[in-house]
Amino acid sequence: MRMLEARRGGRTGHLLDLALPLAGAVLAAPRPPPRTGREARRTDRVARHLHGGAAILALAVLADSGLEHYRAMFFNRAMYVPLAASSLTLAASLHGLLDERPLPHAARDAVYGLAAATGLVGNGFHLWNIGKRPGGFSWLNLFYGAPVGAPMALLLAGAVGLAAERVREDAAARRPRILGQPAGRLLAGLAATGLAGTSAEAALFHFRGAYHDPFMFVPVALPPVAAALLARAAAEPGRRRPRRLARWWLRLTALLGFAGVGFHAFGIHRNMGGWRNWSQNILNGPPLPAPPSFTGLALAGLAALRLLEEEGRDG
Amino acid sequence: MSASDNHSGASPGGPDRPAGEDPLVTPRARQGRAPDVFRPGAWLPMREYPEDEPVDFAIIGTGAGGSTLACRLAEHGFGVVALEAGPFWRPLEDFASDELEQSKLYWLDERITDGEDPIEMGRNNSGRSVGGSMVHFAMVSLRFRPEWFSARSSLGYGVDWPIPWQEMWRYYAEVEEALKIAGPVRYPWGPPRGRYPYRAHEVNAAGLVLARGCEALGIPWAPVPLATVSAPRGQSPPCVYRGFCIIGCSTNAKQSPLVTWIPRAIRAGAEIRDLAMAGRVELGPRGRVSGVHYHREGRWRFQRARNVVVAGYAVETPRLLLNSACPAFPDGLANRSGLVGKNLMVHSGHGVFGRVEEEVRWYKGPPSLALTEHWNYTDTGKDFDGGYVPMSQGPLPVEWANVLTARGIWGEDLRQRMTDYIHGAGAKIVGEVMPQERNRVTLDAEQDRFGLPVARVTFSYCDNDRRLIRHALRFQRQLLEGAGVTGLFDVEDTAHLMGTCRMGTDPVRSVTDADGRCWDIPNLWVCDGSLFPTSGAVNPSLTIQALACRAADRIRTLARRGEL
Repeated sequence: MRMLEARRGGRTGHLLDLALPLAGAVLAAPRPPPRTGREARRTDRVARHLHGGAAILALAVLADSGLEHYRAMFFNRAMYVPLAASSLTLAASLHGLLDERPLPHAARDAVYGLAAATGLVGNGFHLWNIGKRPGGFSWLNLFYGAPVGAPMALLLAGAVGLAAERVREDAAARRPRILGQPAGRLLAGLAATGLAGTSAEAALFHFRGAYHDPFMFVPVALPPVAAALLARAAAEPGRRRPRRLARWWLRLTALLGFAGVGFHAFGIHRNMGGWRNWSQNILNGPPLPAPPSFTGLALAGLAALRLLEEEGRDG
Repeated sequence: MSASDNHSGASPGGPDRPAGEDPLVTPRARQGRAPDVFRPGAWLPMREYPEDEPVDFAIIGTGAGGSTLACRLAEHGFGVVALEAGPFWRPLEDFASDELEQSKLYWLDERITDGEDPIEMGRNNSGRSVGGSMVHFAMVSLRFRPEWFSARSSLGYGVDWPIPWQEMWRYYAEVEEALKIAGPVRYPWGPPRGRYPYRAHEVNAAGLVLARGCEALGIPWAPVPLATVSAPRGQSPPCVYRGFCIIGCSTNAKQSPLVTWIPRAIRAGAEIRDLAMAGRVELGPRGRVSGVHYHREGRWRFQRARNVVVAGYAVETPRLLLNSACPAFPDGLANRSGLVGKNLMVHSGHGVFGRVEEEVRWYKGPPSLALTEHWNYTDTGKDFDGGYVPMSQGPLPVEWANVLTARGIWGEDLRQRMTDYIHGAGAKIVGEVMPQERNRVTLDAEQDRFGLPVARVTFSYCDNDRRLIRHALRFQRQLLEGAGVTGLFDVEDTAHLMGTCRMGTDPVRSVTDADGRCWDIPNLWVCDGSLFPTSGAVNPSLTIQALACRAADRIRTLARRGEL
């Protein structure tokens, strides 16, 4: 029965499957997963965690690139692409979040692949934009040109989504693998790299803001620690303690993503006219949608820890 | 036009205020409070000093020199009264986006100008407000090249300053921190400097034209270090690039003394008296000055003081000293050297303008966002002494129309040219001008509305100045041609005033010592651009403030030693 559904979904229901999840997320009451087998259930939860992480990342990219590209008046038509790609990624991730079937989904897979490619190409575009300005790759152009690392968030969203699909694929297996590697290790590496990169981006733009508020150091200081702990946990899957430490730091980092929105809202208030002048200051102030990227990556990291736990148990 | 007429033009955001609240008519800083510039209608408590008891320091003028010194002296624990001829503005409420209305910020009292190259007085070289001309300055905050402090011994022209460059550069850092200067991460010229407190602003299209030109010529360019914040600072929001900077910033992003040194000074216990026009410094017994005669609220008053600091800038400072002549000093107070009023310097502001195909919209953002100090730091390939620094430009519409009409463009032609305003691009220099004794400020027989003799300002370029200007115009043409600017034409201008009370090491060749203390009268000080022995080729405000910070520290040291 379940297999049948999956097959049907895989062949005919793609469009519907992609169009409805937003509404579905609101309307559908979560049903308990009618699964058997503890490992399978756990792996399934991991996959959904990953879909959640991808969803948050995609939402952040959608809002951020939407705001920033609107601010730049969609000067180049290609500036619409990340909006489309991140919308699809968001839809696919919500779909994945609600999808109780243990199998991967060809359309979701394709969307994630598209997102990853868009992120990669987008970063090329951004680098080209910086390089062609007078001064080339100067501090000034890194500050005010197209943000150098921003499209990578879309690549990460795609990568986390693809990982979710691979985990589903191997849900029946005791140890999911991606690209021949244990999924936990690979995902941990991905999340750690993503956290470090996002942190570097925060460092660059908070440097542009001269760290005028001491809290601006937090997203520069905290996520790299989480990334390092995650990497260590991946390196020593047999040990519990590194995992526990990493889990707490990742949870903290996930919270930071939300807190960051609050701080950025405060930053907007400090611009001329404050929130009364929201229509200009949302564009001009610190980007509201940027910090949740940390949450998305932290969720991916937490999912990686769960897989690592199993890998550790088996190893 | 009377002062109140001048103001009635366009009060932003509502009907004209009643005469009792007109800041050009009725002082705002009194009865123990002063305007809080950051909050509409709010006040700061302000200490008041009695007139008949000598205050430690009476400072005349609240510009770059006076406000900085008032703040630092008050922070060092001295009693300070600062007199300002102009009003105490509330930028959030009083400043309009209107070039004509905002001429209320300039010192437009009558002056007589002559010489071979009479100086245009007003917008480019004066201010009459609490905060002085920095209320409407272009925010360019550059350091002198180290060698300029020893121009005679290192570069063979002008005179040496009495202060070593290392010491001045330390005080530059202090001022840059106080104003949170937004500058480039790496500055391409001169010895290494600490990091600017805030990051450089985005360079507007007008600045990128200059940058393109520099890259075409293979010389470095840089974003301009500016005194407007690129991130929030206290109650100052980051700059929103309105572009009305040189007619007064209405958001308080600009770190003028009105929003930096003045509030700090008031909090530290200084009193600011606006609409207080100083007329004469009184010489008391034992060869020391005893106070200042000043005009406020309709009558002449006298503030007793243990020390008097004159900080009225390079025209009003010598005017006040010359007008304070008395039997002991028949040629003007502290003028035994005969140098008070002499060696007046400006900066040549010659520029080249033209048109580019793309829309530049050069009015956006601070007027000068890119510069090249190439000719400040290169000594070869020059047929002149000194240096100059070309900067990108963003003239406001009325200013631009004036540039065009000065070229004889009128009527339909002018209309057409003005529709092309958004395609304009150009560069102008701050060019070093040599000190010459024939360039001077003297008193004229004519009197102003206070019955004080007006200043006569005499100025002529020397041959070296003219060679520098020719070189600069030629270079700027190359620069702009390299950037693809067409239809180039030259524009003459000047900016800034310096040098009429030169400081030095020799009482015969200077008016004051390195601290700004007059050689002839130990409790009379000068603290403004008048002190400059040479003009350098950068905007003077940062150097004036550095001198003021240094003077305040020196005064504290002297006081501790009992040498005041």
